[in-house]
Amino acid sequence: MDCKQAVSLMHSLLDDDLEQSSALELKEHMLGCPACKEHFHQLESTEQLLYGFNHRLQTPSPDLTERILKAIPEKQKQQAAWLKWVKRHPAITVAAVFVLVMMGSALSMWNADQQMIVKGQQLDGVIIEENKVIIPNGKVVKGDLTIHNGLAEVYGDVEGNVTVVDGRIFQASTAHISGSVQQIDEAMSWIWYQITNLFSSAPSAK
Amino acid sequence: MDTFEKRLVKLARSGDTRAFAEVVELYKDKIFHLAYRMLSNRHEAEDVVQDTFLRVYRNLDRYDANQKFSTWIYRIATNLCIDRLRKRKPVYSLDAEMNDQEGVDGYSMIPSDDRTPETYLLVSETQRMIHEAIDSLPAKYKSVMILRYLQDMSLQEISDVLDMPVTTIKTRVHRGREFLRKKLERKI
Repeated sequence: MDCKQAVSLMHSLLDDDLEQSSALELKEHMLGCPACKEHFHQLESTEQLLYGFNHRLQTPSPDLTERILKAIPEKQKQQAAWLKWVKRHPAITVAAVFVLVMMGSALSMWNADQQMIVKGQQLDGVIIEENKVIIPNGKVVKGDLTIHNGLAEVYGDVEGNVTVVDGRIFQASTAHISGSVQQIDEAMSWIWYQITNLFSSAPSAK
Repeated sequence: MDTFEKRLVKLARSGDTRAFAEVVELYKDKIFHLAYRMLSNRHEAEDVVQDTFLRVYRNLDRYDANQKFSTWIYRIATNLCIDRLRKRKPVYSLDAEMNDQEGVDGYSMIPSDDRTPETYLLVSETQRMIHEAIDSLPAKYKSVMILRYLQDMSLQEISDVLDMPVTTIKTRVHRGREFLRKKLERKI
């Protein structure tokens, strides 16, 4: 056994991890090697110093527990409960979020614009005031007319449909509308109108 | 003992703050000693204790009941200490003048309550030398040696805490022991 091997065995011995036979070999080596004997003595003393050092312990500040408990977020548990549910049902969560977003955007479309909007292919003869659309007597409007958030006063002719969303229509006795007249007031029918429009406008685009 | 802790953890997990307070009472001193030996600074050690319990609290759901609770909490604390030691790494020369402030050198930047009180308390020369020897260990040996000698853990327990094979722990204990032996030679 050389000294390098002996040192490795010393450490194993200190780890309580050396077989009896190897321990005897080590002992034999140290009997004939003063340097290794000294080395082992130093290692043992080092261990003893370390163990002894342990007795001088400091204690943490007395208010440490209080500080720790104060730092703990209290509401966290409740939040964790719904988060857990969300984590367990990802598909439902995604669907729910999708529906919410869709409803939100549809409602905001219906709600947000308080300004009057007039749509039509030909608006030459139409008089537009602040929240009033007037088709004067004797004028002919060709094509459909859509009015949002306003009052439509029809004295002349419209060769097409008139749709009033969130507003009113007034037809004078002189008025002549060749298409249908539609008034939409509620959010749901507004959505329905949007959807039917989407499908009916698609084929007509051809 | 361990089943008692597990019951506490279960209670704490269900939102029982008193049960968690008991876990804190059980472990705060042990974690403080570990952190104090690792960092040699009271203030930082208490910060580590606080961070450890916060992490424990946040991750109670992830605690695996097959594992010993002590192993788990020691792992969190040891990692926090090692992180702090690593962050300290950039050691500036004390005598070098700082660029941005004239006349300010490293000495004036040392917090006044840093190491002096500790060394001050260690009246005996031997105690001071041991403290300095441990403090001068590189981080990876330091954690192993502190867990082995100052927390009285077995090699297997250290391997569980640090999540490293026992053979690695053994090698580190051997090297750490040699390192300290050389440092303390004069005292032996």
